[in-house]
Amino acid sequence: LCLASQGYAVGLGDMLERASQLSDKLHSLSTSLTNDLDTHFPPMGKILMPRPSMCHTASLQTPHDKDQALRVPESELLSIARALLLSWNDPLLLLASEAPTLSHPQNGAIYSKTRELQDQSNSLSSGLDRLIHKIGSSSKALSPLPLQGGDLGSDKNSRLINFYFLLSCFRRDSHKIDNFLKLLRCRAAKQDRC
Amino acid sequence: MMWGVMLILSLIFTDVVESTRLSPPGKPKLTGCRSPEKETFTCWWEPGPDGGLPTSYSLYYRKENSDTVHECPDYHTAGKNSCFFNKNDTSIWVNYNITVVATNALGRNVSDPVDVDVVYIVQPHMPENVTVVVQEVDGNDPSLLVRWEPPRKADTRSGWITLVYELRVKLEKEEKWEEHFAGQQKQFNIFSPHSGEVYMVQVRCKPDHGFWSEWSSTSYVTVPDYINRERSMWIL
Repeated sequence: LCLASQGYAVGLGDMLERASQLSDKLHSLSTSLTNDLDTHFPPMGKILMPRPSMCHTASLQTPHDKDQALRVPESELLSIARALLLSWNDPLLLLASEAPTLSHPQNGAIYSKTRELQDQSNSLSSGLDRLIHKIGSSSKALSPLPLQGGDLGSDKNSRLINFYFLLSCFRRDSHKIDNFLKLLRCRAAKQDRC
Repeated sequence: MMWGVMLILSLIFTDVVESTRLSPPGKPKLTGCRSPEKETFTCWWEPGPDGGLPTSYSLYYRKENSDTVHECPDYHTAGKNSCFFNKNDTSIWVNYNITVVATNALGRNVSDPVDVDVVYIVQPHMPENVTVVVQEVDGNDPSLLVRWEPPRKADTRSGWITLVYELRVKLEKEEKWEEHFAGQQKQFNIFSPHSGEVYMVQVRCKPDHGFWSEWSSTSYVTVPDYINRERSMWIL
């Protein structure tokens, strides 16, 4: 019994370690993409950009500080991370399909990074599925939210602005996912590693 | 006659001086915000010209998804021209729209607003209790063991914040620092230090997503004169 429970703990710890490496990478990539876009962005763009409360995932209830986050049970925190990530399946696809024709001198680099975001996000989401299988799903499982409207607009400026806006929403959500997974990683490691 | 002219001149002069000196305050400027641990944060501003009158400053903020404007909860904790947000006033993944208003008897002036999400302003305090000891194992050259602790306020144990560390080492007599990345480890070995020399060591930390802290204050260590010691042993 002792051996079995040890085996379980090691497996879970390693899975969470791998998952938080992926989420860390995902957030860093989104930051690097934001920096790429910042190099040539219309000065009025940020003023015209929709507010963060307009992000399609804004209505997903997530903790807003440490105390709240620490009170959420493991399975629920995992379910939040998964719902957030799955809400980005289609929007990431949209970003990758729009990137090559974006009116931006760096659109080549932007395209390859959005493709990389997709790949990392897919690996992470299958990792999260395995973790949910292991930890057990939460009774309060959240459903992913769809993106309303399937395009970024018609003129080149609004496409650029909406691209940036979507990315800024993803940047915040990927930070949440990363933060929640790192909390779980420490709980699984019983604070040895943290 | 003379006195009359003097009086008029001095009246004009004071008038001119008064009218150029006294005015509504200039525009204050928000200069930056910093959260050392993702649980609290502080914003600072630079006052503009005060218009020659006693001028007071107030900071106002509005959180994303709310229409309520709040005034700064604490002007004292972080010193002059600052506003400190304690745990109860700090949310993350939420934008704060912040402005500073300068007011004097002749009017007021408002800073450009700044949008802040605490997630993007994380810069920890420097690592603490940095120690360097010489480790001597028989038959080997001594090595230096540098150890440190995370900044007290950063909750690394729960995983709320993840810190990585970098240290830099320099011979006291030389100019150039040598940097080493330590990852999440809280200790680092320096092998084969120069015999009989004094080393200076500093450590800094960075959250997984955020900015480097300042370097810690310098820790000094003297390496024993092991080469001469070995040579004298050999001569013996």
